[in-house]
Amino acid sequence: MAELCTDAPTADPAPPQALDAEILALGRRLARGGSRLGRARRAAHDRGMALVARDPQLRAALFRLVDVAPACAGPAELAEHMGAYLAGVERRTAPVAVASRAAVAPAARWAVGRAAIAAVRAIAGRFIVGETPAGAARTLRGLWQHGSAVSVDLLGESTVTPAEGRAYAARCDAALVQLAADAARWPAQPLLERDAAGALPRANLSVKVTALTPLVRAEAPERGRADAADLLRPLLRRARDVGAHLHVDMESMDSRELILDLVLELLSEPEFAAGPSAGIVLQAYLRDAEETLDRVLEWARASGRTPPLTIRLVKGAYWDHETIEAAQHGWVPPVWTEKAESDRCFERVTRRLIDAWADERLVRPAIASHNLRSVAHAVVYARHRGLAAQDLELQALRGLGDDLQDALVAEGLRGRTYCPVGDLVAGMAYLVRRLLENTSDDSFLASRVGGADLDRLLSAP
Amino acid sequence: MTPFRNEPLLELRRASERERLLDALAELDRTLPIAVPTIVAGERRRDADFASVDPGDPERVVAEAAAATQADVDAAVATAGDAARAWGALPATARAAVLARAAGHLRAGRQELAALAVRECAKPWAEADADVCEAIDFLEYYAQEAVRLAAGPALVQLPGERNTLHHRPRGVVAVIAPWNFPIAIATGMTAAGLATGNAVCLKPAEQSPACALALVEALLAAGVPAGAIALLPGEGDVGAALVAHPGVHTIAFTGSGAVGLEILRRAAEPAPGQRHLKRVIAEMGGKNCIIVDADADLEDVVPALLESAFAFAGQKCSAASRALVHERVAGALTERLVGALDTLLVGQAEVFGTDVPPMIEASARERVERYAAGAAEAGATVHRTDAEQVPSGDGFFAAPTLVLAPAADAAVVRDEIFGPLLTVEPVASVEAACELVEAQSHALTGGLFSRNPRTIEAVARRTPVGNLYVNRGSTGAMVGRQPFGGNRLSGTGTKAGGPEYLLHFVEPVVVTENTVRHGLAM
Repeated sequence: MAELCTDAPTADPAPPQALDAEILALGRRLARGGSRLGRARRAAHDRGMALVARDPQLRAALFRLVDVAPACAGPAELAEHMGAYLAGVERRTAPVAVASRAAVAPAARWAVGRAAIAAVRAIAGRFIVGETPAGAARTLRGLWQHGSAVSVDLLGESTVTPAEGRAYAARCDAALVQLAADAARWPAQPLLERDAAGALPRANLSVKVTALTPLVRAEAPERGRADAADLLRPLLRRARDVGAHLHVDMESMDSRELILDLVLELLSEPEFAAGPSAGIVLQAYLRDAEETLDRVLEWARASGRTPPLTIRLVKGAYWDHETIEAAQHGWVPPVWTEKAESDRCFERVTRRLIDAWADERLVRPAIASHNLRSVAHAVVYARHRGLAAQDLELQALRGLGDDLQDALVAEGLRGRTYCPVGDLVAGMAYLVRRLLENTSDDSFLASRVGGADLDRLLSAP
Repeated sequence: MTPFRNEPLLELRRASERERLLDALAELDRTLPIAVPTIVAGERRRDADFASVDPGDPERVVAEAAAATQADVDAAVATAGDAARAWGALPATARAAVLARAAGHLRAGRQELAALAVRECAKPWAEADADVCEAIDFLEYYAQEAVRLAAGPALVQLPGERNTLHHRPRGVVAVIAPWNFPIAIATGMTAAGLATGNAVCLKPAEQSPACALALVEALLAAGVPAGAIALLPGEGDVGAALVAHPGVHTIAFTGSGAVGLEILRRAAEPAPGQRHLKRVIAEMGGKNCIIVDADADLEDVVPALLESAFAFAGQKCSAASRALVHERVAGALTERLVGALDTLLVGQAEVFGTDVPPMIEASARERVERYAAGAAEAGATVHRTDAEQVPSGDGFFAAPTLVLAPAADAAVVRDEIFGPLLTVEPVASVEAACELVEAQSHALTGGLFSRNPRTIEAVARRTPVGNLYVNRGSTGAMVGRQPFGGNRLSGTGTKAGGPEYLLHFVEPVVVTENTVRHGLAM
């Protein structure tokens, strides 16, 4: 499996190195781009994150605090947890010491807890656009008017009962209807609404299979597949009928086969031969990412379905989970262990996706990364393959890729913002994952905040 | 010596691994029934005195076994006594090499062995595979630990004297093994005895003689001397004969509390002519509680409780049988647990994805039915998996059962049921839950879900249980990582798979030599 993802010379029409100068130039522009106002607004938060990222124990304390916040009955209880978490932080910087003392002082406890709740809400507010699709409508419309398409993700607690799966499906169904109705009133954005294969739906919903079914069993993918199919089929019908795009997210390896089989099987059913627009996700941090791509491309060739399947290419958000699980079971990790390997795999798959579009109009590429090098590489390669701006989608996460999204708009590129919608309890797992990403040592964002040399970051991985 | 590493589990999320297991099962089915002989001094005596059957289809005979007689027991113990001298005289490294080879044999046949555990004990695939891995782990871990033990601990040394501490094998170990980890536990107790230079007479559970035969074959093929390992299949009388035998030095037992107490009583009385005290290593039952604090993440709690209480139909001594839930979240958790009961697939062990396989035998199922009915009669709310979701037919299937808020003194919260039944009991606080745990006579495993480090510390400090699991399920102890065993009436406090376990199989001897001659330290 590994040999498919080596650095052996490929038959790319343009050798990747030849593009490096252009990638560098575009990367620099993207790094400078974006609105100054937005940057200033986010700078304070980024500085805070950088501070936290430097001390692993403080970082752990913060994550645990964010994680437990929704389960605490009130400020005093949250303060009690905070005191216990901070007690484990050895570097007693002044803020840590003050907060630790206050959290255990009876008089200050309530105020500390209130402040912590407010802080958690503020962090959540940056990543989560609203509690409901209706509540998020203004923000979504604002993004669209600003020049970015959106995809809405309904945050849910993980599903442990069939009733929870049905409730999530009902929320998705309602969201499709609502989004389609709202989006119909948005102003025209020619760049965002059409590519060479035809119309691109404005309403776009991402769904999670593990939220649809409690029957995900790694050793028995058919169990969860059958259960999820019963709920996903009506959602596909709804998306088709209201003209929305339905994107099925990818999660950990334990559900990868299930999700891939499920989506490809359902989309092969005759009733979906001409819609809706649908998509899946490829994770470049998986060692067998290119084998999965082979399979998807083969399917796309054989199915002849329209509109073409959208493939969102990501690095992958479950690296720690996969690595820990593999270590505990004595398995070879399914993910690349070096970040540069993931970055290289990401570029290889990017080129193959763009080739598949340029040569055969096979699948719609959607490149989802906050790494300026990865993004610039995709854009430059697409241009070399003769693609127009609307033929390449670039996705970023709300709260994490806001600067990038601004820069993409300024550059005249077609961007889409992934917008989580949901309440704080439901959003906590998502929030912790995003915070981890935002503060992890090798994160591109952290190095940017730290002022690392931009050109080095824009060089080939 | 390379550091100990647990044998990797099969990556069952890959279809190719699953196919290999199904192939191995099909192959096994063609060879059934397996003839299990008595093996004494390498001599095999075949007979068909009793049979083990597939718990999911009792018409299918898995093994036809010879039952050991008193004469077999006498011959086995006498042979073992002789063989133990030569085996015990080998350097620990030589014995370790043999055990490592036996581990290699198990590893080479791991698919076939897992298939056997599926058929003979209805262990679902993942658990059957884990059973094989744990057996391999025990062989390798104890082999290494015995070498470490042989090096002896450092004693204080002063000029003019030399002090050494040796550990000698005790002699003959009677291993009385259970069916619920039919390969792993039999292997663990046997490997501990052999690694430390003892000879072993193995009496497997009458429900799983074929799994034990596979172990003995591997040991013999690896080079354990024929006299140093005997296989004595049979029922309780064979175990009783071993326990009473004056030639047995150590009894390693895993099983029910009633039998364990009987062994302790019998072993305490020296037989005429017996010149040693018998030592008993007993791992018995549990009544394991998982405490759920108000700040717990219920998304983690629900799957962990289901897995801990219902996997392998609750037939693990580590399985959870009581959930003690903070009253603030008891309602929400109960609702989700009741809903999640429907997600459990009750079915044949050989079907990938089965959560709850059939129980080992009809009487086990009847026990669960009795307690479920009793709890309902006593006024508790009882939720069970719908009858139509439980396979019909002759397999010993029991519906997974939740008993909500039973009376504090109900039988269902007091007795070990050893089946897929979980009580859910609201408590006013974690302290109140600790009081309930404190009041129990069993103390094997326990669980705690809390996100407050101070709560975790407080519960860890006061819990009487042998193994406390925090923010995870209460089953699945790994060799070398979670040394396993209970306190109070749950066992003798020995920790299988831990660094102190082998000490129970040896006798310490200290030699002090005066090295002063003519006023000089030589």
